[in-house]
Amino acid sequence: MNKNSMWSLKLSTAAIVLIPAAIGINYIGKLFASLLRLPLWLDSIGTVLASMLAGPVIGAAAGIINNIIFGITADPISTVYAITSAAIGITVGVMAYKGWIASVQKAVVVGLVTGFVAALVSTPLNMIFWGGQTGNIWGDAFYTFLISNDIPQWLASFGDSIVVDVPDKVVTVLISYFIFKGLPNSLTNIYRQDSEIEVI
Amino acid sequence: MNTMTLYVERNSPIHRLDPLVKLLYVAASILLTYILPEPLYIGGILFVTFLLLIIGKVFRNSLPIVTLSMFLIFSLVIVQGFFHPDNVTELFAIGPLVFYEEGLYVALVLVMRVLVMVGAFSLLILTTATDEMVERLIKKGMSPKIGHVILSVLQLIPQMRATMVKITDAQRSRGVETEGDLLTRVKAFFPLIGPVVLNSLNETKERSIALEMRGFDSPMKKTFLNEAKQYPHNKLIAGLITGIVILGIVWRVFG
Repeated sequence: MNKNSMWSLKLSTAAIVLIPAAIGINYIGKLFASLLRLPLWLDSIGTVLASMLAGPVIGAAAGIINNIIFGITADPISTVYAITSAAIGITVGVMAYKGWIASVQKAVVVGLVTGFVAALVSTPLNMIFWGGQTGNIWGDAFYTFLISNDIPQWLASFGDSIVVDVPDKVVTVLISYFIFKGLPNSLTNIYRQDSEIEVI
Repeated sequence: MNTMTLYVERNSPIHRLDPLVKLLYVAASILLTYILPEPLYIGGILFVTFLLLIIGKVFRNSLPIVTLSMFLIFSLVIVQGFFHPDNVTELFAIGPLVFYEEGLYVALVLVMRVLVMVGAFSLLILTTATDEMVERLIKKGMSPKIGHVILSVLQLIPQMRATMVKITDAQRSRGVETEGDLLTRVKAFFPLIGPVVLNSLNETKERSIALEMRGFDSPMKKTFLNEAKQYPHNKLIAGLITGIVILGIVWRVFG
């Protein structure tokens, strides 16, 4: 059915309402992570979950709007990474659609790919805005280590992002996967764009 | 209503400006720091931005936002000063580590750029009510659905925060350990976030039904509840900002 492809821009009301919920979940995930003093951000659980539930378009929209809202309510710098969030939403959305969230092992692969894509998209942004750094202590330490070993700046910057993004995204996707698997079907069905609707 | 914007209500000329003009200023000031990447010019833009923050009576409110990027600024100065690839001229040394002039120069440009970005952004968000901005954007052609999403997030997050406190208390009273070593804290994450997620997804179901009942999906043209504000010198200021950017480009190309 071509009409109901995963890229369809005809979004149902349920799918649109999922976006604010996803952004709220992002925020709560971040809050719990800092409350429990976990060494990760876990600030994209909602985006990932929305992509699994409603596909890449909603995932990307949730990602972009998430960073814009975070920019206007807390930290303007996060607006820059709206593109990264969109990439995360698209990656997870496409991979979920292609059946990559069938098992834990596959979910780990999704997490790795997502982290890699996030780093790939963040690197040019980091180069343009902050000369290659990320402002994260572990990432910047790794950047410094690479630079002092005569690694080219853009490669060091990519390393900086990889160190920051990959572990966080793997854990984020895994958490989202477990939540997704725990959701009842009556809930997961309402967001899908590609599901066939029976016409009476 | 308990929303979570940083908007500060004051009576100032900046507050009365069109949100779109302020948005244009944000874009223009950031763009100019790239068109003219000399410390002197960026310093000038930074000065103007701070001046506007003072005129808008929100300079003090912008300080916490700037503080958030302090770590990035420190990190920029330290890493670029010590390790920038073009470093030649020594400035000072701490043991085996040498701090260079070129790196400091690079860091200076980067730091001032970050400050311009954060400053201009603060100007926008501290002096503009979010609903006013969203309304203006919708009038300029943004989808009202996106407008709805943005505004509902601002109401939803305080609600979810309240739910979160409730659930944390409930789970603690059932004996979930939220303090202790890393493993204990990791294990606590699921029983805490699970109910919040389920709760909010369930709410989306109800909300989408409620919205559809009120014609959310209707193809008719939407009308506005609030009367449109008048912005007297709108075109003039927008033209002025655009003019300065063009002047900057000309200066860069021919200067």
